[in-house]
Amino acid sequence: MNSIVKLGVAALLASAVAVPAAQAGETLDRVMSTKTLTMSSDPEYPPQSFLNDKNEMDGFDVDVGKEIARRMGAELKIVTPSWDIITAGNWGGRWDMSVGSMTPTKKRAEVLDFPAVYYYTPAAFAVHKDSAIDSLDDLNGKTIGSCGGCTYDAYLMKSLEIDAEGAPPFEYEVEAGEIKTYETDTHAFDDLRLGDGTRLDAAFSALPTIQEAIKSGYPMKVIGKPAFYEPLSVATDKGDPEFDAKITEVVAAMKADGTLKQLSEKWYGVDLTSVD
Amino acid sequence: MFELARENPWLSRAVLFLLAAAALTALGLGGTAAGDLFAPLVGPRDPAVEAGFGRNLLVGVMLAGAFIANLEFLRLLPFRWQVLVVWVELLALFYAFVLSFERDFGVVFAVNDSGVSNLYFLITTGAFTTIYVSLIAIAIACVLALLGALGKLSRNGAAYAVATFYISFFRGTPLLLQVVLIYTGFAQLGFVLEAVPAGITALSLCYGAYMAEIFRAGIVGVPHGQQEAAKALGLPSDLIFRKIVFPQAMRLIVPPTGNQFIAMLKDSSLVSVVGVWELTKTAQVLGKRDFQVFEFLIAAAVIYWIMSVVFEVLQSRLEAYYGKGHRR
Repeated sequence: MNSIVKLGVAALLASAVAVPAAQAGETLDRVMSTKTLTMSSDPEYPPQSFLNDKNEMDGFDVDVGKEIARRMGAELKIVTPSWDIITAGNWGGRWDMSVGSMTPTKKRAEVLDFPAVYYYTPAAFAVHKDSAIDSLDDLNGKTIGSCGGCTYDAYLMKSLEIDAEGAPPFEYEVEAGEIKTYETDTHAFDDLRLGDGTRLDAAFSALPTIQEAIKSGYPMKVIGKPAFYEPLSVATDKGDPEFDAKITEVVAAMKADGTLKQLSEKWYGVDLTSVD
Repeated sequence: MFELARENPWLSRAVLFLLAAAALTALGLGGTAAGDLFAPLVGPRDPAVEAGFGRNLLVGVMLAGAFIANLEFLRLLPFRWQVLVVWVELLALFYAFVLSFERDFGVVFAVNDSGVSNLYFLITTGAFTTIYVSLIAIAIACVLALLGALGKLSRNGAAYAVATFYISFFRGTPLLLQVVLIYTGFAQLGFVLEAVPAGITALSLCYGAYMAEIFRAGIVGVPHGQQEAAKALGLPSDLIFRKIVFPQAMRLIVPPTGNQFIAMLKDSSLVSVVGVWELTKTAQVLGKRDFQVFEFLIAAAVIYWIMSVVFEVLQSRLEAYYGKGHRR
């Protein structure tokens, strides 16, 4: 189903003739005059964005969006188009920005602008809690599981290219003995929980995902420092550099006064807003 | 088999009983809740040990006996009671099937900090959106279908071409793509539709194309003599269509249109890709919150079913109204 949507969106893009882009300042003017900042969000992506127990949208991305709106003197309104519709661009002014943990790849930058990276997803190794492994060096030659075809798989195969703006450099620190790939990372966790070395010696995935699994009872622990970082950015429609500049300014201010760090600690328990 | 049943009813019952007993034994139900019903007879089962053949056979034979007894009981009832009893039995089986998933369906009725139950939210947000989107879309689709049918019956080449192109395109492409096309594609041409109007437009266009063929068949299905008789009475041609042909065509149009509407109730879930919180989307969103998607999808399925039943009843009323000329 997903690939069908992608195909359709691709066909649409291919057939798109020269599109009249938004006028400079148009989005900013609309936000300022209506006092409403509309953001697109996925309601099925906890803890980034989801419907909370009060039947209201909540999560890290939603809090970041609310804060951006507050600082622009506007009310935040949320719409929930599907991921494929958001990444296709040409929003037609129906929403002003996406705060949806989007990696700013070069391909996406052809249809969207990425004015502000607001946090980074670290990639980390996890082992069974009974494992003797306690450093990245110990992982060399071990059997490691990850999602197939994703950035984690690419890292283990040493073919990872994050073509995103603002991605911090990284080195290949681990040489896996055997790589086992799964449809999604969580299946690797399921194999790891069977026991230390039963099927896997370690799993490789996003740190927040691993921590979420540990919280729901998976017998795992995180090893060493994150192997690489994927930057995640606010996205806007093409054509309004003034609005982009405003977003860049607001997010920079949120970073400078520690608001972003606070929100990250609230939702992830750690500060993911900077790479050290 | 049928001949056997006529000549020797007791033998056929015995054969049916043996077949049912063998099939039910082969299912190996000794270790299930059904098997535990017979614990008073053969002692309680040790849950750690797999149920043996004896237990499976006992359950198989008993259930087969109940099945045959049930059939014999049904034979004694008048038609309406047979229908009612079998419906209740099938519903009970369905209920038992759902219960066997061992999920916590209490969450569907749970009240959270918002002060309303999840079911209330599911109905007021999800089912309500599904119904109003579908109702508006079917109304527009009926108009489009009538225009499409008249175009296809027209002797005007341009009208015929427009109608066949419309029907061909919207029947020949997936509804999902039509939704995306209208939402994203039109926006690129400067014609920006919000999510709900875009969804209604796509549903109307798609179903209008399918229903154009239904309307055409209905109009063609009215005997030609009706038109000729009206003409002989000197009625003008637009009056002939409105007062003579169309009401009779409706008799043929209503049942398949009701069918289309029920299909649309469920196809409207495709509109969620542009961000409309109809029933399926709302169920998924609520389910993701607590990692209990399955419970909410079952709840949504039951709500869809109830809505369909209500509209089935409405359809049969409408059918009776337009079919009054043919009642015997």
